[in-house]
Amino acid sequence: MALVPPFLRRLRSRLVLAVVGMMVPLASAAEPSAADLEFFEKRIRPVLARACFDCHSEEAKSVKGGLRLDTHEALLKGGENGSVVTPGDPQSSRLIASVRWTDEDFRMPPKRSLAAAEIADLEEWVRRGAPWPSEPNPTAGPRRRGFEITEKDRGHWAFQPVGHPVPPVPQTGPAAPHPVDAFIGQGLRDRQLAAAPEADRRTLFRRVHYDLLGLPPTPEEVEAFVQDRSENAWEKWVERLLASPHYGEKWGRHWLDLVRFAETNSYERDGAKPNAWRYRDYVIRAFNSDKPFDRFVREQLAGDELPDADDEARIATGYYRLGIWDDEPADRELAQYDQLDDLVATTGQVFLGLTVDCARCHDHKIDPIGQRDYYSLLSFFHNVTPYRNGGDTDEVVLGELAAAGAAPAKALVVSESGTQAPETRVLARGNPGSPGDRVEPAFLQVLNPPQPRIVPPPSGKSLGRRLALADWIVSPENPLTARVWVNRVWQHHFGRGLVRTPSDFGRQGQAPTHPELLNWLAWQFMEQGWSVKNLHRLILTSAAYRRSTTISREALQRDPANDSLSHFDMRRLTAEEIRDSLLWVSGPVNRAMQGPGVYVTLPPEVLAGQSVPGSGWGQAPPEEQVRRSVYIHVKRSLLTPILLGFDLAEPDRSTPVRFATTQPTQALGMLNSRFVRDQATRLARRMEEEAPGNTRDQVARALYLVTGRPAAEEDLDRGLRLIGSLSEQDGLDRQAALEAFCLLALNLNEFVYLD
Amino acid sequence: MNPDASAPRGQFCRRTRREFLWEAGAGFTGLALAGLMARDGVLPRVQAAPTPGGFVNPLAPRQPLRTARAKSVIFLFMYGGPSHVDTFDHKPALYPLDGKTITVKTFGRGGRKNEGRVVGPKWAFKPYGQCGKQVSDLFPNLGRCVDDIAFLHSMTADSPIHGSAMLQMNTGKILSGSPCLGSWVNYGLGSVSENLPGFAVMLDPIGGPISGAKNWSSGYMPASYQGTVLRSAGDPILDLQRPEGMTAPMQRRILDSLREYNADHAAAHPDNSNLAARIASYELAFNMQRYAPEAVDLSRESEATRELYGINSPRTQEFGRRCLLARRLVERGVRFVQLYAGGAHNDDNWDAHSDLEKNHNFHAGRTDRPIAGLLQDLKQRGLLDETLVIWGGEFGRQPTAEYEKGTGRDHNAYGFTMWMAGGGVKGGVSVGQTDELGSAAVEDRLHVKDLHATVLHLMGLDPNQLSYFYGGLDQKLVGVEEVQPIRAIL
Repeated sequence: MALVPPFLRRLRSRLVLAVVGMMVPLASAAEPSAADLEFFEKRIRPVLARACFDCHSEEAKSVKGGLRLDTHEALLKGGENGSVVTPGDPQSSRLIASVRWTDEDFRMPPKRSLAAAEIADLEEWVRRGAPWPSEPNPTAGPRRRGFEITEKDRGHWAFQPVGHPVPPVPQTGPAAPHPVDAFIGQGLRDRQLAAAPEADRRTLFRRVHYDLLGLPPTPEEVEAFVQDRSENAWEKWVERLLASPHYGEKWGRHWLDLVRFAETNSYERDGAKPNAWRYRDYVIRAFNSDKPFDRFVREQLAGDELPDADDEARIATGYYRLGIWDDEPADRELAQYDQLDDLVATTGQVFLGLTVDCARCHDHKIDPIGQRDYYSLLSFFHNVTPYRNGGDTDEVVLGELAAAGAAPAKALVVSESGTQAPETRVLARGNPGSPGDRVEPAFLQVLNPPQPRIVPPPSGKSLGRRLALADWIVSPENPLTARVWVNRVWQHHFGRGLVRTPSDFGRQGQAPTHPELLNWLAWQFMEQGWSVKNLHRLILTSAAYRRSTTISREALQRDPANDSLSHFDMRRLTAEEIRDSLLWVSGPVNRAMQGPGVYVTLPPEVLAGQSVPGSGWGQAPPEEQVRRSVYIHVKRSLLTPILLGFDLAEPDRSTPVRFATTQPTQALGMLNSRFVRDQATRLARRMEEEAPGNTRDQVARALYLVTGRPAAEEDLDRGLRLIGSLSEQDGLDRQAALEAFCLLALNLNEFVYLD
Repeated sequence: MNPDASAPRGQFCRRTRREFLWEAGAGFTGLALAGLMARDGVLPRVQAAPTPGGFVNPLAPRQPLRTARAKSVIFLFMYGGPSHVDTFDHKPALYPLDGKTITVKTFGRGGRKNEGRVVGPKWAFKPYGQCGKQVSDLFPNLGRCVDDIAFLHSMTADSPIHGSAMLQMNTGKILSGSPCLGSWVNYGLGSVSENLPGFAVMLDPIGGPISGAKNWSSGYMPASYQGTVLRSAGDPILDLQRPEGMTAPMQRRILDSLREYNADHAAAHPDNSNLAARIASYELAFNMQRYAPEAVDLSRESEATRELYGINSPRTQEFGRRCLLARRLVERGVRFVQLYAGGAHNDDNWDAHSDLEKNHNFHAGRTDRPIAGLLQDLKQRGLLDETLVIWGGEFGRQPTAEYEKGTGRDHNAYGFTMWMAGGGVKGGVSVGQTDELGSAAVEDRLHVKDLHATVLHLMGLDPNQLSYFYGGLDQKLVGVEEVQPIRAIL
């Protein structure tokens, strides 16, 4: 273990203060910290807007006292009577005196004073130097009054063309840095921050192995990489990992989170969706074969309408059938619109990064998306047959995949109700009983889109609307789709996106930390034929990806959120990574890919929560129990405890970001559950086989397996001491003591955290 | 914070700190989580000192923004839907109509109907308490508690179908995927107990409710807020029990060694408090193993107490044990306890489609005395004032028969009865009315969200402010439109 530099030790004690919840600013700097800005957006701007803007903003009918509080500049300038805020000094700031009502002449707001907590927040804000974000934040404005799309709306960063950005040429450093680093380097120079050094090779290898495959590397692989001194060793190994079939299992899962993949319907019966697993396998194959992303999108939205529709494309349209479905709704008409809303919401958020669904009942309150936009978008889906959980309208017989002589293979697919377009109307307050204006298919107006070119496909089975939508979504003129996807790929390599709200590129989302880099990646991505694997290559070969997680004092002070990417952020493994790693390090695994969902053994206590215990669940044979988590049958009301405990994506709605909670119940499961104890037993058995009779070697091997690095002497000694005391004081035999040590190894923080 | 109801709403989709932080990535969460969370709009201050070692418990108790009347909730969920006209909603006009076919609009699992054959109430009612409340003979023990109870006779829900109606009663929405009432309460207030879950669900041993875990899911909120199933017999919490052969000292030794490894690892990452949090979570888990079994151990309860809850009688023994357990849990700081009376399907719960008498005699018979015992026990211990008890199902039942023959009643979401007691609720009052047949609420109509608003209000939370940012919206338990607590019972 590295020695901790003294300054970090000191910092640590300061950090504990921060953790205790004190309002101790970590540092004051010219550039407001993310925490300050968050404080402003959360606690200050809403108060200003609610209590002050009626008289002190651009929107005021007449600006009182010449004072505006809606821009930083105006705030600092003050009003007719001079300055109102002295940054850092609440006592001499008239703004504070007036909201305290201690200033006889200015009691603000005049009718009703602010709450004490709000006043305290304002004081704290001034004390911090009245930090204000540098970019104009449109959410500062008053709520939208009536619906019209303004130039300001169209000027939002995400609606601008991607363009052809050119990486900056640095004045210092290497003459031709990696383009990604050229963009990031500029930000670091602006903040006067140094980049962390490259992580050591073992750390790097474990990092990239998990990021691409979701699995731990074997000690042999780690050593082979460490020993590989060839100049292009990194590129070579990245290539090798990208070629692994496990890559699709890992990256397919990211996609399945977004499209709320599950294999049952939820509600009372939570019945199984027939053959939903074929969609899961399609996604895995698509990633493994590096299917161009634009094709991937078109297949899911309109695979059946493509001129070259094949089985793969048809299976892809299972996208439409994955959502929750109430087979016994109280209001059938409303339920049908709920289904359509699910499609608008998922499509809008996943592909476009916009919460179009917020405009179902009224115009979007923040984004320039009208209720008309919502129903125009809905009309692309309006002819889709209502889901019926199987049958002719939901299933198709597959030709190419059916093995000779076998029962016909079926897939869950979309279908439409004939070629007569249904009438779509704007529904007042989202109520099907209050239809308003009729709308035709149209794309989001704020993007100045073309008219949809709708050509009914030759099959005569559908309207061709969905294909028109898909084509627009992936057209190079659409400024959102490529940006949204490259940001998601970035997110899964760096732990968060360049835009930290990956499914919301609208005004209430966060602006990108590196807008030019985002544009450049999006442009490159489209230039290179929407190849996702190329995108990985581009990102993974940057120095930014390979930095160590060591944070410098300067970075901690000036950029605690690591917006500048001066170092790499640690992350906890995901639920599937934890379960898969437990299996992978402990013993023989089943690498079989694809096929119907696996029913892993669930504790009887969990089954007892069902109205009919065990209903809708099966029992996989032992060899199936050790398959990867992505193949576990996803039953909405019966999720596997270890996955649920470690923040599995809730499958009822699109999940753009997983949580990473820490809870005592996770520890209980990791110590006491039958599943984890079984893995400890398997690991101990494996140690007996791989290092028979030699406890020290067994401890060393087990630690290497779980941490991806050779154990230090003191790590070995500690392990042996534990085994010794378990034998001597608790009377365990060698086997049992080794099992106990293996259980410990599987519980190490180093096992579940990635450097 | 100013709970100013006149403030323009929707002006800002205020993001919660928590979501921002998750999105911001682990490095940042590790750094500033607690400090920021403590200043979350709904979480004004973290009250308890964090556990040594830096575990920032997402369920650390928090002071509500306004004065709370109740500290805990016990929700007695009468799964299946008890018939209001046979229990607490006295309809004298219905008795003489027995067997007659009348015009009445109903909507149940059998669809919408405009007429039906009346099933006269099968039990007599008599007045109880100082308030003289009429209660049916199904609840002779509970009848004696009416002066502590506020009856809500005009409840309505959006669905007369079990699946969606259960979801609505638990999450406010008929669509699947939202957090439960218990999740919201823990999100807003945290839990006082570190050794027990903040949201405990006790199922009927007969079986779980339909939709299973969806009924205690935290939906789009982190798993920290989901309900934990707590069993009244055996291992109370999943994986709480050490495996066979693993003694406490052995586990202690393993955890001590684990802590040393983890401390070395954390020392190299001093900026990441998540690592310290995970170390501390093992200590909390170790403590849970020690304290949670004590919480569910009824052996030290007096004979009088056991008698009070009906634990000595075979009929009431099971539900009595769970009611007593509920008291022990709230005594130990658990925020939200939900007990299911009835499980599985058909007559295993209150879903009396065929033989009303048999069904309701069974379910009332096994719950009447335990619930009365719970109310009396809470009261005598001074806990009733701070414990809100809720009774009711996902809907009620129709005045008419479902089938050509028999006494079974179909579902009724147009009007039904729930009641509340304790936690600042007025006793001996009744709010709202159904029509003279009990077919629909006609006076002071109440919706499930009014009930939810009242619960949050009594817990010191503002139902119109308590929000969680998800999917582009400030999601609220009570929905987007402002909802007021039921003032008449406060």
